Amino acid sequence: MTDTATSPTGNGGWGALSELPGNPIMWVLIISELLVFGAFFLGFGVSRMLQPELFRAGQAMLDIRLGGLNTLILVTSGWAAAKAVQAGGLGRVALSRRWLAAAMALGLAFLVVKGIEYADKAAHGIDIETNTFFTLFYLMTGFHALHVVMGVIVLAIVGWKNSVENLETGAAFWHMVDLIWLILFPIVYLVR
Amino acid sequence: MNVSETKLETTTDTSRRLLFAWGLLVGLTLVSLVAVLGFGHGETGLAAAAVALTASYFKARAVLDHFLDLRRAGPGWRHFFSGTLIFLLGCLLATYAFA
Repeated sequence: MTDTATSPTGNGGWGALSELPGNPIMWVLIISELLVFGAFFLGFGVSRMLQPELFRAGQAMLDIRLGGLNTLILVTSGWAAAKAVQAGGLGRVALSRRWLAAAMALGLAFLVVKGIEYADKAAHGIDIETNTFFTLFYLMTGFHALHVVMGVIVLAIVGWKNSVENLETGAAFWHMVDLIWLILFPIVYLVR
Repeated sequence: MNVSETKLETTTDTSRRLLFAWGLLVGLTLVSLVAVLGFGHGETGLAAAAVALTASYFKARAVLDHFLDLRRAGPGWRHFFSGTLIFLLGCLLATYAFA
């Protein structure tokens, strides 16, 4: 087994990643997800450039208020996750779990709002095959919603196995989900 | 000042910083909504797009710096993430400008 404290690089073998706070693997995931979603977003922008009228018509059918509400829910949930890490760092396990529970509850609220939005679209006969705009809309928001589901599960696991490192790693995943939504929301819902 | 007071002050500072970041995120979200809804539900125009995407940049920075604690990392990583965000949001703004 390699002794990380005496490794030739002196940084645990993670190179430049060791400069980042928390678990380096989580940062690999964050960078990977940013690049994958970044490609999605650029594809959305180019498609919109090629079919501006179709995209304007599609965006006009979205509810900005629901998108804005979900943004407020998710950033508040991110704050709760950060508070959970802070409480965990101070050894206040019960308080940390309460903050995590709040973050998870808000994550579930995000999914409920997203479900309301999808149900409304379905009621109007809109699905993933309606047109290019809605194909991209469902792919991007659906893929993101799956990350929210996974994030809630991760937060539940780190609430159970409540070490500081686990808390930091789980919360980092949650903040990555938050970060992606902060770019997705304006380009899909706001800017027309 | 004893050790516990120092720790308490640090904890308070962290709490304030996280609360400030949350307030910034909420405030910028509301600014984006007002900028876009102020133009009605039709075209928002390039100016509103620029406001919304710029707000998005600062929101992403707030999450990275305060929630993900990227402020503790070296300048190379902070520049990498800033550059990636600026490239991505700049390309998106260009697609709106040329649409």
